[in-house]
Amino acid sequence: MSQKIEQIEKLFAEGASRLLGRAADNHSLTSETLVPRIRAAVSKYVLRDDPPAPPEVVKDFIDKLQADDLCLIVACEQGNQKAWSDLVERFSATVRSAARSASSNEEGAEDLAQSIWAELHGLRVREDGKPAGKLAYYSGRGSLAGWLRAVVAQLAVDQHRKQSRLVQTEEAADFDRIIQQGQDENTWSGHGAAVNPELEFSKKLAGAQMQKALAKSVKQLSAEDRLLVKLYYFDGLRLREAGAVLGVHEATASRRLSRVHAELRQQVERILIEEGWTKPETEQAFSEVALHLEADIEPLLAIEGALMKKENEIAG
Amino acid sequence: MKQANNNEVDLLLRSLAKGSDESPMANASASGRGNGPSSDHLDADELNSYAEGVVPAPAHARYTEHLADCDSCRRIVIGLTQASGAAIRYAAADQEGGLTFWQKLAALFSPPVLRYAVPALVLTAVIGISLLALRQPRRPELVARNQAADSSPVSVQPSQTESTTPSTGEKPATVSKGTESPAVFDSNEAKNNLRDEKSRVDQAPGTSGGETTAPVAKDGTKAGEAGGADLRPYASEPKAAAPPPPPASLSEADKSAEVAKERPAKREEQERSRDELFRNQPVDEHGPNRSRSNTASSAASQRNAGLMGERGPSAQNKNKAADVETRTVSGRRFTREGNTWVDTNYDSSRATIKLARGSEQFRALVADEPGIRAIADQLEGAVIVVWKNRAYRIQ
Repeated sequence: MSQKIEQIEKLFAEGASRLLGRAADNHSLTSETLVPRIRAAVSKYVLRDDPPAPPEVVKDFIDKLQADDLCLIVACEQGNQKAWSDLVERFSATVRSAARSASSNEEGAEDLAQSIWAELHGLRVREDGKPAGKLAYYSGRGSLAGWLRAVVAQLAVDQHRKQSRLVQTEEAADFDRIIQQGQDENTWSGHGAAVNPELEFSKKLAGAQMQKALAKSVKQLSAEDRLLVKLYYFDGLRLREAGAVLGVHEATASRRLSRVHAELRQQVERILIEEGWTKPETEQAFSEVALHLEADIEPLLAIEGALMKKENEIAG
Repeated sequence: MKQANNNEVDLLLRSLAKGSDESPMANASASGRGNGPSSDHLDADELNSYAEGVVPAPAHARYTEHLADCDSCRRIVIGLTQASGAAIRYAAADQEGGLTFWQKLAALFSPPVLRYAVPALVLTAVIGISLLALRQPRRPELVARNQAADSSPVSVQPSQTESTTPSTGEKPATVSKGTESPAVFDSNEAKNNLRDEKSRVDQAPGTSGGETTAPVAKDGTKAGEAGGADLRPYASEPKAAAPPPPPASLSEADKSAEVAKERPAKREEQERSRDELFRNQPVDEHGPNRSRSNTASSAASQRNAGLMGERGPSAQNKNKAADVETRTVSGRRFTREGNTWVDTNYDSSRATIKLARGSEQFRALVADEPGIRAIADQLEGAVIVVWKNRAYRIQ
C-alpha cells in the first residue's frame, strides 16, 4: 500500500516537473509548490471515482492540465504581485463579460465584476497567513477563462438568492403566484383571449394521471437521457446546444431523443396499466393528447395572427 | 406509427415542462445551492471542466447524474458551454472529419452545386460546338488548295522551282514534302514520270477520259491518305508532286503538254506561284468541288463526271466524254468546247471580259498578268480563263 502511495507521489512530482517545463512562464515556481495542487486535482477527478487508477491514467491526467493557467493561479496564490497583475490584465474582459451575462443590468454587472476579484483574492486569511480566496479551487483541468466564468455565474446565483431572501416577503410571493396563475389561465403571450392548452387538456382528459406517470418515467431514465430531456424540454435548448452540453453531436442527440421517446411511452403505458388502465385506454389517451394539443394550438395561432394583424393596422 | 408515438410523447413532455416552467433565477433562488436534489453542488472547477468536456469518464457520470437533477448547476453549465463555443466546435468537427467519400460525392451533385454547374457546362458546350462549327467550313477550302496543287500537271516543275528559286519560301517547302523520298528531281526523271502516267492512261480503256481515271488509279491510295489527311490539310501537300491526270486524248495533247512542261521559264514559274497565292485567297467557287475530289477517288471521278456533264456534250455518254479535249496550262485546266478553251473554273453565269489578242486592252492585261499571256500563247483560238476571280474571254 505504502509502495503504491510512494509510486503515486512520484508520479505527482514528475508530473509537476513536466508541467513546469510545459509552461511558457512558470513564475519561478517549484515542483514542491505544484505537487499539492496536482494531488488535489487527481484525487478530485480520478481517484475519487476510480481509486485503483493505473499510473498511466494519472500521468495522462497530469499531462493534460493547463500548465500556464495553473502556474499563474498558483503564483497568485503564493502572493506574486506580477502574476496577479497579469491575471487581472488578461482576464478583466472575461470577467466583465461573464458578469454582464449573469446580471440583468449594467450596474449590477459592474458590481459583480468588482466583487469577483475580491472573492478570488480572498478577504479572509488562512492559518498560514495567506488569503483564503477561490484561487485555491482551480485545478487546472479546464481553462482559466472558463473557470472564471463559472465563478462569476455561481457568485451571481448566490447574490440573487441573498437578495431574494431579503426582499421577498410572504405577501410578495403570494402576489407573484397570483400573477403567474393569472397569466397561465388568461393569456397566451399576454393577449388574454385564449386558453392554456395544457390546463384545458388536464381538465378535459384528466391528464394529470398521465402527466404524473410521465414525470415518474422521466425520473427513471438514465442520467444521460434524463439530462438530455431536461436540457431539451425544460431548459429549451436546441438539439445542437443540448448535444454540446452532453459532448455529443446533434445527430447523436436526436437519435438518443427518439429512443427516449419510445422508452418513455413504454414506461408510461406500464405505469398506467399498473394503476388499472387497459392497454386500449392508454393508447387512446396518447392519441387524444396529440389531437387535443394540436387542436388547441391551431386556434391560438389564429388568434395570435389576428392580433398581430390588428396591431399592424393600428400602427400603420 | 413510431413517429406518431414520438410526437405524442413529445407533446406530453412539452406540456410537462410548461407546467414546471420557471425563470432561471427564480428556480435558482427557490432550489438554492444546497436545497436541490443534491446538496453537494458542483464547484466552479467541476462545472467548467464538465462544460469544456475534460472531465474523466468516472467523474463525468457522477456530474451528469447531478446535473440531470440540479437546475441551478445545469443552467450554469449551459451558460458555460455556450460561452466556450462547444456547439460550434462540434459542428466544425463534424464538417471537417465526418464526410465520407460518398457524402462528398453527393455534395458535389447536390442541387446548390448543380444550380451553377449545369448552366456553366451548357455554356461551355455551346461555345465548343460553335467553335467547331465555325472551323468546319474552312477545311474544304484548305483541301481545295491542296487539290489545286495536286491537279497541276507540271508536277516536275517544283523541282525546277526548287533548283531555280530556292529563296521563295513556300515552293521549296512544297517540293520537299512533295518529293518525299527522292529529294531531288531532275527534268529527265520528270519526263519519265510523265511517260509512266501516259502509259497507265493508255492501259485503262473504257474510262471516261484518261484524266479522270488515271489520277484515281494512281492516287487511289493517296486519295485515301488525303482523306485521312483531311484533318491535316497541309499533310496532303506531298501529293502535289504526283503527276496530274493527263488529258483524255494524250496523243493529241502530248506535244503541247511536253512543251508546256519543258518550256517554263523562271519568270513564268514565279508568276505562277504568285498566281497560286492569289487564287488560294478567294476560293469560294472552287473549294467545294475540290474538296470533294480530294476526299476520295470516287468523289474525284464523280466531280469530273459532273464537270463533263456541265460542259461536255452529255454526262451519260462516256464515249463522247472521252472525246473532250483537256489541257493544262500554267496550272489551269482547260476543256475544249468547239473552238474555245474554257477554264474548268469558269462559271457561265459570271460576267466575262472580252479581249482581243493584240488589242491595247490585252497588252495592258498581260503586262500586269504575264500568266495570262502564257495561257493565251499556248492555247490557240478563243480562251476563257478565270484569273483572280475574274473571267476573261481572249479571242
